[in-house]
Amino acid sequence: MSHDSSQENLHFLNERAKELNCLYQVDELLGNGRLSLPEIFTALVQVIPSGWQFPELCEARIIYDNRSYQTPGFCSSPYVESVPIKVDDKEAGRLEVVYTQEVPPSEEGVFLEKEHKLIRTIANRIGQTIWQRRVKEVLLDWEQSKIQNGLRETGQDWVVIIDLLRRTDPDMLMHVSRRMINHLLTSGITEAEDILQEYSPGWKIAFDNDHDNYPSARVPLGNLISISDRIFQVASRYLSAQEISLRLQKWIQEQKAYGLVKIIGRIDASVAEIVDALVRYEAMAGSTDLLPYTTRRWLQVALIKRFLSDNLEFIDTARRYIDVESFFSLVSRVIYPAYSHGKIGGKGTGLFLAHQIILQESQEKSLLADIKIPRTWYITTDELTEFLHYNDLQDLNEQKYKDLSQIRMDYPNIIQRMKNCRFPPELVKSLALALDDFGTNPIIVRSSSLLEDQLGASFYGKYKSLFLANQGSKEERLEALANAVVEVFASVFSPDSIQYRAERNLLDFQEEMGILIQEVVGTRIGPYYLPLYSGVALSRNEFRWSPRIRREDGLIRMVMGLGTRAVDRVSDDFPVLISPGQPGLRVNRMPDEIKYYSPKKMDVINLETNTFETIEIDSFLRQYGSQIPSIHQLVSVRKEDYIAQCNVWEIDFEHDDLVVTFDGLVDKSTFVKKAALLLKTLEERLGYPVDIEFACDGQDFYLLQCRPQGYSGEASPAAIPQDIPNKDIIFSARRQISNGTISDISYIVYVDPAGYASLENRDDMIKTGRAVGLLNALLPRRGFILMGPGRWGSRGDIRLGVPVSYADICNTAALIEIARRQSHYQPELSFGTHFFQDLVESGIRYLPLYPDDQGIIFNEAFLKRSPNLLSQLLPEYAYLEDVIYVIDVAAASQGRALHIAMNGDLEQAIGYLGSYSKQTHSPDPLSLKAHVSSRPAEKMGDDTFWRWRYYMAKQIADRLDFERYGVKGVYLIGSTNTGTAGPGSDIDLLIHVQGSLEQRQELDQWLAGWSQALAEVNYLRTGYRTEGLLDVHYITDHDIEQKTSFAIKIGAITDPAHPLKTT
Amino acid sequence: MSNGVYNPFVNAQAQFDRVAEIIGLDQATRDLLRQPLREYHFLIPVKMDDGTTKVFRGFRVQHNDARGPAKGGIRFHPEETADTVRALAMWMTWKCAVVDIPLGGGKGGIICDPRNLSEKEQERLCRGWVRQIVRNLGPYLDVPAPDVMTSSKHMLWMLDEFETITGGHYPGFITGKPVGMGGSLGRTEATGYGVIYTVREALKDRGINIKDTTASIQGFGNVAQHAAKLFSQLGGTVIAVSCWDNVDKRAYTFRKKDGVDVDELRSITDVYGGITKDKARDLGYEVLDAMAWLEQDVDILIPAALENQITAENVNKISSQVKLIAEGANGPTTPDADEAIKHRRIFMIPDFLANAGGVTCSYFEQVQSNANYYWEKEEVLSKLDTKMTAAFHAVNDLAKRSSLYMRDAAYVIAINRVAQAVKMRGWV
Repeated sequence: MSHDSSQENLHFLNERAKELNCLYQVDELLGNGRLSLPEIFTALVQVIPSGWQFPELCEARIIYDNRSYQTPGFCSSPYVESVPIKVDDKEAGRLEVVYTQEVPPSEEGVFLEKEHKLIRTIANRIGQTIWQRRVKEVLLDWEQSKIQNGLRETGQDWVVIIDLLRRTDPDMLMHVSRRMINHLLTSGITEAEDILQEYSPGWKIAFDNDHDNYPSARVPLGNLISISDRIFQVASRYLSAQEISLRLQKWIQEQKAYGLVKIIGRIDASVAEIVDALVRYEAMAGSTDLLPYTTRRWLQVALIKRFLSDNLEFIDTARRYIDVESFFSLVSRVIYPAYSHGKIGGKGTGLFLAHQIILQESQEKSLLADIKIPRTWYITTDELTEFLHYNDLQDLNEQKYKDLSQIRMDYPNIIQRMKNCRFPPELVKSLALALDDFGTNPIIVRSSSLLEDQLGASFYGKYKSLFLANQGSKEERLEALANAVVEVFASVFSPDSIQYRAERNLLDFQEEMGILIQEVVGTRIGPYYLPLYSGVALSRNEFRWSPRIRREDGLIRMVMGLGTRAVDRVSDDFPVLISPGQPGLRVNRMPDEIKYYSPKKMDVINLETNTFETIEIDSFLRQYGSQIPSIHQLVSVRKEDYIAQCNVWEIDFEHDDLVVTFDGLVDKSTFVKKAALLLKTLEERLGYPVDIEFACDGQDFYLLQCRPQGYSGEASPAAIPQDIPNKDIIFSARRQISNGTISDISYIVYVDPAGYASLENRDDMIKTGRAVGLLNALLPRRGFILMGPGRWGSRGDIRLGVPVSYADICNTAALIEIARRQSHYQPELSFGTHFFQDLVESGIRYLPLYPDDQGIIFNEAFLKRSPNLLSQLLPEYAYLEDVIYVIDVAAASQGRALHIAMNGDLEQAIGYLGSYSKQTHSPDPLSLKAHVSSRPAEKMGDDTFWRWRYYMAKQIADRLDFERYGVKGVYLIGSTNTGTAGPGSDIDLLIHVQGSLEQRQELDQWLAGWSQALAEVNYLRTGYRTEGLLDVHYITDHDIEQKTSFAIKIGAITDPAHPLKTT
Repeated sequence: MSNGVYNPFVNAQAQFDRVAEIIGLDQATRDLLRQPLREYHFLIPVKMDDGTTKVFRGFRVQHNDARGPAKGGIRFHPEETADTVRALAMWMTWKCAVVDIPLGGGKGGIICDPRNLSEKEQERLCRGWVRQIVRNLGPYLDVPAPDVMTSSKHMLWMLDEFETITGGHYPGFITGKPVGMGGSLGRTEATGYGVIYTVREALKDRGINIKDTTASIQGFGNVAQHAAKLFSQLGGTVIAVSCWDNVDKRAYTFRKKDGVDVDELRSITDVYGGITKDKARDLGYEVLDAMAWLEQDVDILIPAALENQITAENVNKISSQVKLIAEGANGPTTPDADEAIKHRRIFMIPDFLANAGGVTCSYFEQVQSNANYYWEKEEVLSKLDTKMTAAFHAVNDLAKRSSLYMRDAAYVIAINRVAQAVKMRGWV
C-alpha cells in the first residue's frame, strides 16, 4: 500500500468494508438456526452481490438439491464465476455470481482476486452449514428413535446406527457390512457365505484378508442396502444386540481413525486439513475409546507434535493427560492461515496441558473439579509470517540484526506501519467468528510465542498482553481486536524482546508468534468489569517471612481486580501475600501494618469508556461495595486497632475503614486449599515447580496461565561454585536459603555484631542506624550489601538490630542478618519482617547467616581488617569505626567484586570474591518501573556510559548562568565521576548555591528540562527508562563550612567531587 | 549486669538515683523503688497448629502498686529481657504518678515473634499467659494493656480467659478494648489534646494570649493532627506541619504562614496518610525540607513524630522566637540537645507529662469498665482537661518554686508521690 495515493487508498478501504459487510451478513444468515435451508439460500443471494465491485450489475444464484435460488435479474452471462458447494468433500451444489453486462475490467480481470476468494469463502461456509444441519438432523432422528423405542434394550442401538449410515454415509455402511460378513464367516456361520455368493461372487477374495479392509469396487446403492439388511438380519440371529452394537462402533471408529491417521501422517498436511479431519471424526465417531492402543497413542503423539510441541520430554508428559478427544474442543477455536503448519505457542500449550491435567485429576480430587479455564481462541504461530508475507513486510525479519538504538528508534514506526496493514481476509473472518463466540465480554490478547514460557526462557513481560473492553458495534470491536493482534505481533520487533533473545543466543531462531485471545474473567460492577480477585501462585516460595514457612509451602500474590498488579511489581502499592502451605502465618500482624501493606488500587476495565484503568479501591468500595458478591471475604473493617471480618450487612461502605485482607477468603473458603492442591498437583504431574495465574469472577476459580516457575533470572537457583579457595569466601550459609544470584557487589557495609552489642548508650545505636541511612544514599544503588546483627529495623528493643527504616536501606542489593551464637542461645532473626513487603516489591534479597554453625565459613578477618572507608565517607561518624565497616571490595581484593550465589534446592549460599562479570544485564524484568541504575555488572568493560555522561555534565556546567541562578560552583560526584556509570546510572551533580529561593526554583526548572531531555536520549541509547537523568544535590556555604551532607565530597579522600566549573 | 553493654534498666535506675538524690529520699525508700516490688516468670506451653507443643516464656513485673493497681502493657517480643521489662514497669509507675492517677506501674510480656505464629496460636498464647498468672491479676490488682505487637484483639482474648476462669464479667481487668466492648471514647483524641491542654496552661501561666501565638508541629499522625486541631480551635495559628512522604521515602515540612488547616490537609492525603505534595502546593502550602519545621520563627514547637529528633546538631537552628517546646512524641530530644534547650531557657513540657493524655484515658477506660457505665466523648475529654491541667500546674509550681528544669520537676513530683504513698502505707 505504500505507493498508493490517498484516493486509491480510500477506494481500497471502501472495497474492504464492502467485502467484510457482505461476509457478516452471510455469516449472520447461515448462523440463524430458525431459518430453513431454502429460506437461507433465498436471502443469501440477495446479500451476496453487495460484496462485489459493481453490486448494481451483479446477480447471484445458488443451486442445491436440484433447486435454484437466484436474484430476479439473474441470467446467463459471459461474466460469470461459478464455484462448487462441497458437503463432506462431495459436490452438493454450486454458487454462481454474474455481471449482467460488461464492466470495466481491472488488471486482475473482470473479477478481482479478492472476489475469487470471497466467493470461495462463501461457498465453503454454505457447505459447512449444510453438512452441520445434516448431521444434526440425523442425530436428532437417532435421539428420537431412541425415545420411541424406549422399551428396547439399549443394545438395539445398532439398528439406529445402520439406519444412520444408510442415510448419511453409504461408504461406511459398506465398510461395516463387509466387516460384519467377514466376522460372521470367520465365526463359521454359513448363511453369511450364501449372501456373499448371491450378490457378488467377486467379493470373497477381498474378504479373505482380514487386515486389508479397503473397499475395492463400487456397489450400486440399492444393492448395498439390501445386502447390508441381509447381513445384519443374519447377524442378529447369531450375535447379541450388544455385541453387534459394540462391533459397529469399533469398526466405525477404526475406519474413521484410518482417515484421520492418513491425513495427520502426511508430511505436508496443513492445520486446516487436520482440523477438518478432527471435526469429521468427532462428528461421526465421537470418541477413540474403542481404537487399538497403538492407534490411539500414535494419534495422540502426532497431534501433540502438530499443535503443541516437538519437545520429547514435553510429549512424554503431555501424552499422559492429553488424549485425542482433548483436541476436539481445541481445534474448534484455532485460527490459522491457509496451508498453516503452526502451533499454538508456549502460553497456549501450558494452559491447555494444565487444564487436561486438572480434568483428569479432578476425578479423584474433588476440590479441583470446579476449576475452569476461560474461553480461549488460539492464533497459530505462523499467522505472523503469513501476515508479513501478505503485506510484503518480510524486511522486518532482518530487524533483529540491527543496532539496538536503531531498533528502538524504528519500533514506533514499525507499530504504525503494521497497524496500517491489510489483514488477510481469512484472518478477519476467523477473528469475526471468535468475536461472535466471545460476545461482548472483555477479552485479552496475549502473546504465545514458540520460545515463550518454555523451560529456560520465560520472556517474562517481553511480549505484550492487551486488554480490550470489547464494547460497541461489531465493526468497532473487530477493528479493536485486529489492532491488538497487530500490536502483539509487533512486539516481536520490540527492542526489549530482541535484546532478550540476543542475550540468550536465540536471535537466529525464527521467532513465531502465536496469540491467545482469552475471555477476561470477571463481572460487571458499576461501569467497571473486573475479577473480584486474581493473582499469581508459585509452587516454591522464594520470599519467606518466617522460618516456619518452607519453600514447598508456596506463595500467592493476590490483588483485587485484574491480576496485572500482582504479576508486575508496582512501586506504589502492595499485593497480599499468602503462603498456601501456612495460610495462618501472614506477613503483617499489627493493624497499622496490615493497613499499610494492603492493596490500595486496582486495575479494571471501564466498559463505558472502553479503557483499561487503575482506580482507587477505597472510593470504588464506597460507591459499589454493596453490589460486590461476597465482598466480606475480601475486605476487613478496621476500627481503631481492631481489624475484623464482618458480615455484609455489618459493613458501612460509606464510612467504614475497609482494608483488603482476603481474611474471609483464607479462613472461610476452600480458596487456599484449592490453590495449594492445584500447585502441588501441577508440580507433581509436570515434574517442575509451576507459576500460575488465576482469577475469580465471584463464582468460579479460573486458571489463566501455567508455566515453569523460576526462570525470571533473579529467582532461579544459582550454581554453587565449588572451586573457590577458602580465602576468597566471605561467608557461606546453609539455612533458610532462597534462590537467586547477586553479582558484582562493589561495597560491603558491615555492622559488626560484637561492636554493636558493646555500644553503651542508646543514642549510639540510633546513630549507627542513621549512618547506615547516609551510606545508603552515598553508595551506588544495588551496588552494595548491608550485613548486620540480628534484626534489621528492630523497633522495640534496638539492641537486637540496627534501627533503620526502609528508606535507610532502600538502595542495598541485599539485606543480610547475622545470628552469632551467644553462650547458650542463638538470637532469632527478623527475616526482614519490618519491611518485608518493601523488600519483595523492590527486589532486595534477604539472606540469614549463622556464622557459628558447623562447616560454615565467615571471613571476619576480611570484613574487619580491610580498609574501612567510614571515617572518610562520614567523618562525623568516625567514632563508630569499630561498629560500622565500609569496605571497597575492589580495593580490598585486587579489583575483584563480591558475588553471592544462593541455591534453595541445595539449601546453600556462598558469598565470594571473583572478577566482575562482563555479561550485560537487561533491566530487571520484574520491576518494570524500577529505576535500576548503575549495576557494576554493566559498567565494567564499557566506558561509553560515563564518557557520554561526563561530556553532558560539562555542557550543563558551561551553559549554566551562574549569576542568574545564584550559583557558585558545579561539581560532579557519583558513578559518572568515578567512571563507573552504567546504562541506567544518573548523573549526580553537586551545585553550590547562594541565591534566593526564587533563583533556586528557576534553577530547578532549568535543570529539570535538561534532565528529561537527557533521560530520553539515554533511553534511546540503552533502553533504560528513567524519569530524569540528573540527580542534583544543592549545598550552601554553611554546608561546606559544617561539612554536612554532600559537602563532605568536596576535597574528600575517596571519590572527591570533581569541580566542573566554579566562580 | 553492666559489662559495657547498653542496659535500659541500669539507665532507669541511674535516673531514679539522680532524682532520689535531689529529693533526698531515705535509703529504704530508695531500695524499695529502684527495684520492682514483684516479678513473675513462668512458662506457657502452647499447642501449635501442626500438633506439636511449644513452650514460651512469660513475664509480669509489678514495679510498684502503692498508689493503686499496677498498670502496664503486654509486649510480644522475640528477645525480651527481664531488664527491659523492669525498666518499662518503673517508667509506668512515674508516668501514672506525674498525672496523679491512682495507679501503679507494671509491664509484662511473652518471648515470641508473633510473625511466626498464626492467629489461633496467638490466641492460645494469650489465654495461656492469663492462666499462668490469673491469681495475681485483676481490676483491683494489676491491669494489663496493649503494647508492642499486641492489639485490642489480644486484649479481648485475655479478658475472655480471665472472665471464664473467675466466672464473672470484669471489663476493668484490661484496657485498650474496642469501643462497644468495654473501650472508652476519646482515645484517639486523648494524647494530642492532652499536649495542647498543657500548652494552653503554660501560656496562661506566662501571660501570653494563645490567640497571638504560632506553632510548628513535627508529624501528621494521630497525635500531631489532634494537637494541631485543638490548638487552632483555641485560637492559635499552626504555620507548619511535617509529614512522611511514602513515595519519596522522606519527610517534608508543609508551611502556610497564615495558618495550616488540618482538615484541608487531611482531605489531600494519599492512601498511606501522607500529604500529597502537589495538591498541597495548589492549596498554597510551601513544601520544605523535612526538618524545616524546627527552624520556623514560631512561639511553640511540638515534636510529635519520632524519638531523637532534636539533636545536638540541629538544636541551634531553633529560632530565638521559640518560647516553648511540648514533647508530643516519646523522647524526641536527645540529652545533649536537652542541655542546650535548658541553657537557652526555652520552656520545656517534657514528654511524660505532655503526652500523658493517653495513659489518663486508659485510666478512664478502667474506671468506666469497673462501673460498667460509659461516658460520652465530651465527658471523657473534659475530665481529661481537668486531669492534665492539674498535673501541669503541680509540676510547673514545683519547677518555679524550686527553680528546677521542667523535666526534673516532673520526675521529682512523680517519684515523690510514690515515695509518699509507700510511706503513708507504712511500708518504710
